Amino acid sequence: MINFEEEIDRFRPSLEVEEVSDAIVKTDLTDMTDIMMEIMKAVKDN
Amino acid sequence: MDYFQIIQYVANSYYNRGLELARERDLSGAAGYLKRALQFNKYHMDARNLLGLIFYEMGETSDALIQWVISVNLQPDRNPADHYLDEVQRKQGQLEVASQTIRKYNQALLHAQSGSDDLAVLQLKRIVEEKPNFVKAHLLLAVLYMAHEDYTKAGKSLLKVLQIDKNNEKAGRYMEYVKARTGKADVERRKLKNAFSHREMEDDDVILPPTYKESTGWQAIVNMVIGLVLGVVVVLFLIRPAWERSLNYDHNQEMQEFADKLNMANQEADNLRQQIAQYQEDKERTEASLNSLAGDSDSTLSQYQTLVRILDAYRGNDFQTAVQLYIDMDPSRITDESMADILNRLKADMDANAPAVLESLAASATAAGNADLALHYYEKYMEMNDRNPQIIYNMAMIYKAKGDEDTADQLFGQVIMNFSDSALAARAKEQRGY
Repeated sequence: MINFEEEIDRFRPSLEVEEVSDAIVKTDLTDMTDIMMEIMKAVKDN
Repeated sequence: MDYFQIIQYVANSYYNRGLELARERDLSGAAGYLKRALQFNKYHMDARNLLGLIFYEMGETSDALIQWVISVNLQPDRNPADHYLDEVQRKQGQLEVASQTIRKYNQALLHAQSGSDDLAVLQLKRIVEEKPNFVKAHLLLAVLYMAHEDYTKAGKSLLKVLQIDKNNEKAGRYMEYVKARTGKADVERRKLKNAFSHREMEDDDVILPPTYKESTGWQAIVNMVIGLVLGVVVVLFLIRPAWERSLNYDHNQEMQEFADKLNMANQEADNLRQQIAQYQEDKERTEASLNSLAGDSDSTLSQYQTLVRILDAYRGNDFQTAVQLYIDMDPSRITDESMADILNRLKADMDANAPAVLESLAASATAAGNADLALHYYEKYMEMNDRNPQIIYNMAMIYKAKGDEDTADQLFGQVIMNFSDSALAARAKEQRGY
């Protein structure tokens, strides 16, 4: 059984075009390669 | 193999799976794999661009823009994202329309979440008309229809979502719900059951079409008649209108060609008329210019003639004639550069020596009773030297004699004010009656 109230509440607003530049700035671009580099650096320092 | 190569391989594997699902139109599944690929390698240009394309295909323009902008920043050279961004921004107003649609969706969502379902449905219907691939709008519309037990409309919206994104989780779940309430689920179940319930065919089995019957003689005739009638109907209702349309089209084409030719001819006639008007204008201008060169006494030619006569007078040592000619000459008409030096020298000589001659000429004219000529000489004198109180006083006296008291008083006033120390000032006061 679907609870419609809950379903509707789960919908999130779409990102507006004007907010794109802010969203790009806030995007976390850390990837696995960055993490691996950090780990290797920490190991080397210790 | 080092860690970085492993990471690269993992990212590629995720990308390949994402690409595979995208090709099968499982867009949300593909997006998940592509995000994973980017978590392993943020520089994976293809994964990021494809993720942007998927967002764009699902109507999420802003999310698509984010991915493409980041992609271009991380890899500026030969990046297809550059082209995608260009496409979105280049088409007139496309970005503005996308922006407005997203704004409308957010407003509709607000209506839906605050219980104004009717308003939300109206808004969402307009949105999906404008942007038929906006998945989120279709889904929200479907939920609202389902909430009001309008399962047929909800089913249509969900079908559209599944056409865009085959394995959309929400759409699949909602569709199950809709099917259970429209009886579609039972029908599908029965179809599935029947599909596996038939016995296997054997070699001796013959399939007879259910409508097959042997024709008798009169049935054949009836069939032929029916065939003929159908043929006539086809000619009347299908072939003839097409033929008429073709004729009309040809006729219209011919008319259009004539109209084009007529327009061209009109345009040419207009151009010719404009050219005639232009030529007429040029002719008038040239004539006016010619008149000013050779026409009346003020003409350029006349000024050159006067200059020649002045130079002749100089040669004959007749300075008075030279002065008389000079004061009525207009040197501005003589624009020839080779004459500039002569004119300058002439002007210098006249400024220095002509006033005395003019004063003498004016005195003679006064004595001869020619007041106007005397005034003419005095005025020319004043143009060269306006600081001689005697000349101003003489002019005033002539005006007074002519009965022009106002001008005479004004000139007497000049003598009184500007040359108060001179003896003429006292005489001018007397004349004014002080």
